[in-house]
Amino acid sequence: MNEQALITDAQSGNLDAFNTLVLHYQDSVFNTALRILGDEDQAADASQEAFISAFKSISSFRGGSFKAWLMRTVTNACYDELRRQKRRPTTPLEPDTDDGDEMDSPKWLADPNMTPAQQAEADEVEHAIQHCLDHLPLDFKTVVVMADIQGMDYTEVAAAIRVPLGTIKSRLARARLRLRECLQGFAELLPASYRLDEGLAQ
Amino acid sequence: MNQRDLELLSSYLDGQLTPSDSARLETRLNSDGQLASTLDDLRAARTLLRQLPKRRAPRNFTLTRKMVGLNPPLPRAYPAFRFATVVATLLFFFTFGVNTFAPQLVQVSTFGMGGAAATEAPAFAQQAPVMEAAATEAPATEVPLESASSLAPLATAMPPAEDSARVAETPMTKIGEAGNAGGLDQPQVANEPPRPAPLIPSVWQTAFAVVALVGVSLMAILRRSSANRWK
Repeated sequence: MNEQALITDAQSGNLDAFNTLVLHYQDSVFNTALRILGDEDQAADASQEAFISAFKSISSFRGGSFKAWLMRTVTNACYDELRRQKRRPTTPLEPDTDDGDEMDSPKWLADPNMTPAQQAEADEVEHAIQHCLDHLPLDFKTVVVMADIQGMDYTEVAAAIRVPLGTIKSRLARARLRLRECLQGFAELLPASYRLDEGLAQ
Repeated sequence: MNQRDLELLSSYLDGQLTPSDSARLETRLNSDGQLASTLDDLRAARTLLRQLPKRRAPRNFTLTRKMVGLNPPLPRAYPAFRFATVVATLLFFFTFGVNTFAPQLVQVSTFGMGGAAATEAPAFAQQAPVMEAAATEAPATEVPLESASSLAPLATAMPPAEDSARVAETPMTKIGEAGNAGGLDQPQVANEPPRPAPLIPSVWQTAFAVVALVGVSLMAILRRSSANRWK
């Protein structure tokens, strides 16, 4: 895939060229939205909005990392979605599982201090990590999702969210520290090789 | 653990420190157990995040033209058709307006111009004896209808000038009598002025209407064919 040629074609209004880029980046965009929003449906909507917005404003792309530019678009779409949620909160009291059953102990109610019995309810490491991500401040969450989950380097993250490199370093360090503290509550769920107990005990 | 050390450890983990800073930190790590432990924790947290399963997008997010509000590309001639149609439509309404309202405006302005009518009165008065002569002959010979009808607008057009009106009434009455004698409904003819000829030939009005209609039709066809080709 010649990304630069596709971008140039898309900038001249070629929708097929842009759709080729969409197919290449849609998983990354969706995963970023999913980790920021913590909900698949909302993440899918935000991803679609992000691609529409990206096509409409692709003429403003002046080179550099296209992925970083795309990530900025998706984070903006996620922020819009979160603002919308704030205005019209629709969180169910008892969220459903994938099977449609009500969760007795939904992950969003879990906290690092919950009992071992409650911890057992969070049966997936992924849910535990998502829970911890959801409790991070939005700025920290965005940086940690881009750097640690999407594997972007500091420069790309700085370009994506338009903050200085020093701020990225600071936010990332503090986000990792908070995640470490949060994951302490899920220590029993984590794979043995990634247990944090020893480090946290000190 | 202060904030500065935390940032150093995090950057060290990602290989973002300069070689000299890295060497200095490594020296500290060898002697400071807590610093080394925090580094391990940060590394473990980062590893967990990196090993989060990558979800596949639940559907393709490819865009359609409708989503982004794109319209089908129109032929280059389309703007010319549109311009011609707009111009023809405007001209049609202009000619229609002129031909419909201009004669009425002329008549209204003539009625309002009493002085002007009065100045024309002598000329009209000069015609009166001729008409009177014709009227006197009417009972014996048939008065030509053209002359009667041609006089009618003059009679209605000159009311402000009393003299001229009086002069005009005389022949008309007589003509009317002559008409009645001839078995014609002459007063009705006298009340209905003849329709004036349009200022702009009606053929132009028709032409503009045809061009506008053809233009609209062609634009619709072009749009539809472009949309079909785009699909």
